[in-house]
Amino acid sequence: MDKTQELIDAVIKGEEDKIKLIIMENLSAGTPAKEIMDQGLIAGMNIVGEKMESEEMFIPEVLMSAKAMSSGVELLKPHLTEDEASASGKMVIGTVQGDLHDIGKNLVKMLMEGAGFTVFDLGTDVSPEAFVEAIKKNDADILGMSALLTTTMPKMEETIKAISEAGLRDKIKILIGGAPVTDEFSDKIGADGYGPDAGSAVRIAKNFAPDYS
Amino acid sequence: MAKICSNQQALNSPYARKLTERQCEKLYWACLEILERTGVHLYEQEAVDLLKKAGAHVTDGNRVRIPSGLVEKALTTVPKTVTLCDQNGNRVIHGGGHQSYFGTGSDCLNIRDHRTGERRLAVLKDIQEGMILCDALENIDFVMCMFLPSDVHQEVLDRYEMEAMLNYTNKPVIYVTTEFSGCVDAIKMAEIVAGGEESLVTHPFAGCYINVTTGLRHNQEALQKLLFLSGKGLPFTYIPSAQGGVTAPITIAGTMAMNNAGALTGLVISQLKREGAPFIMPGWGGNMLDMRTTIQPYADPEKRGQAIDFAHFLGIPTFALAGCSESKLVDEQAAAEAAMTLFTDAIFGGNFVHDVGYLESGLCGSLPQLVICNEILSWIEAFMKGVEISDETLCLDLIDEVGPDGQFLDCQHTLENFRDRWYPNLFERSNFDGWQSKGGKSLGERANENVNQILEDHKPEPLPKDVAKAVHDIVEQAENTR
Ligand code: B12
Repeated sequence: MDKTQELIDAVIKGEEDKIKLIIMENLSAGTPAKEIMDQGLIAGMNIVGEKMESEEMFIPEVLMSAKAMSSGVELLKPHLTEDEASASGKMVIGTVQGDLHDIGKNLVKMLMEGAGFTVFDLGTDVSPEAFVEAIKKNDADILGMSALLTTTMPKMEETIKAISEAGLRDKIKILIGGAPVTDEFSDKIGADGYGPDAGSAVRIAKNFAPDYS
Repeated sequence: MAKICSNQQALNSPYARKLTERQCEKLYWACLEILERTGVHLYEQEAVDLLKKAGAHVTDGNRVRIPSGLVEKALTTVPKTVTLCDQNGNRVIHGGGHQSYFGTGSDCLNIRDHRTGERRLAVLKDIQEGMILCDALENIDFVMCMFLPSDVHQEVLDRYEMEAMLNYTNKPVIYVTTEFSGCVDAIKMAEIVAGGEESLVTHPFAGCYINVTTGLRHNQEALQKLLFLSGKGLPFTYIPSAQGGVTAPITIAGTMAMNNAGALTGLVISQLKREGAPFIMPGWGGNMLDMRTTIQPYADPEKRGQAIDFAHFLGIPTFALAGCSESKLVDEQAAAEAAMTLFTDAIFGGNFVHDVGYLESGLCGSLPQLVICNEILSWIEAFMKGVEISDETLCLDLIDEVGPDGQFLDCQHTLENFRDRWYPNLFERSNFDGWQSKGGKSLGERANENVNQILEDHKPEPLPKDVAKAVHDIVEQAENTR
């Protein structure tokens, strides 16, 4: 692959045009799409993730990188096998029933998309049934639930029960977050993980990947 | 009671503003333009119906575009001040103009426990101690519940919060409830304490803190509470949470415009429901999301001042926010942010200034931090007084009498007047040896001791037994139907 470092830098700087150009040059030179994806786009986004967690990059810059990367992925898609294209996985996300706080959830969603996940956003005030429905419909690998109120946290547990009852628990990884949520709570209700912020959500979700892909 | 009022006498007492009249006008026109052009989404039918009947343009069921005339009319009927009584019916707070009152915040999930120094989940006992402390602190004028009790059923936690605020202090109350039913119960409890529905209206001592999803998106509970309380003529705040860079433009002006378009929407609905209903609007403007850490900063310098100016321009009382910090500890950052925010809100003249004692951007509270804020407020009160330059205060006769070589220490005049000057309680002025002989303690350590002392000594006036029981019955009823 040519200009690997340049592609990585372009992702970090969120330079969409440059990304496209380098990808096209590489594709016409015969570089496999998977290689461009892994060594250029994903490698770049990984650095972006690290820079966000170390507070070097700010959210709008991260989202800009994510957007630019997505446009690169679009270019590569026709050259990838279906497995390669959706390698990161599919996520259903929503704020639980009774809860209208969605700023954190939206951030998690955008960063997950930036990391290559396909995300189905159910919005706020989402009932356990609606979560179950969406998991089935989209054949999701990961469920993300957000709650900012102690009064709505129990809905997370209810949702997990509903998922078990629907016979889906084994095929889905459940990630939860929001200001009052803790690791302990996550263990208690039988979720698979808790993320204190959007950056960690991506990191944890990536660690799940080997389990379902 | 903190007797703090900026701009008391023109040019003779501290006063600040950021926006000129012209800027306020432009901002106001921008709000009107947003309401007419973009409109709002209202998720409560009664609110939509009221506006439609008054001439607003409704599409898609709940997208409401509000003609400017409705806002103009509402501004002529809304009261310029909101009075809050203490729980005995004394009219202690006249929120409006430049008069500032200070109170705690609500619902902190965690407490930095002053006895152990640890951060832990808060419990009901913390609210009770917090209220005893508030009752004793002379510069805390109204209370919010401070903490969120993790040891009660969460569906009904707001009932326990209200009960504690009624039982452990006599001061005016601003309550928060998650759902509409909690608001109805809070009013029932307040009516019991006031001695009936009518008494609560004539002597209101409790106001509801209502939050709205964003400037242009008004959730059902918020509108239900607004309609219910306006209908009764009881006070409440209506605070949309437009967040710069997320649910509003990142510019301060853009966020202010969207947020205040939301506040004005609430104003119009309240006045349509009942002309003359009291209404309190946001006293901070230009909220942002910290793009580095994703927290919503409370002590942000850039969101202070302009919203208070704008509310003064409209003639509506403000719910402001100060005495809060992003710090995780009761440390130097906490003291600095608390002091600067309290000072700015006082000098701009915010009215109901809440969140005093908040740490961690609203997720943690601390009793010693509140005591430190009380001391800061005492300092600010002293600072905000005008200076009297008169024949009497210039003391020219005395100066001449004492002459160039005399001194004033043993003058009768000094003896008679020296106590008018300000003295700190917690802030330490002793010289090094004096300070050391008192134990050489830091401000935080002294604040800790002060908290313990107050909790030991102060006994708030209890509710009469039958009243306390009737209040508790409401909690029980909520428990039984949850
Ligand atoms: C903004 C805000 C609001 C806004 C929400 C606007 C919106 N569109 O979301 C409004 C004004 C509408 C609001 C309303 C209310 N709020 Co509010 N709100 C807040 C506030 C100040 C900030 C929340 C926020 O947006 N932070 C910024 C985002 C980016 O952070 P975040 O949500 O925590 O998300 C991050 C992480 O948690 C994590 N994360 C989040 N979700 C997920 C999901 C997954 C899967 C993962 C892995 C990670 C993850 O990643 C995110 C990004 O880093 C908090 C205080 C606080 N400091 O949290 C109170 C707070 C949460 N609210 C509170 C209260 C009481 C209320 C109200 C009940 C008040 C009222 N009576 O009107 C209502 C409830 C309405 C309802 N039914 O939901 C209390 C909670 C009390 C409780 N019971 O637990 C808090 C703690 C404030 C307080 N101390 O009183 N609120």
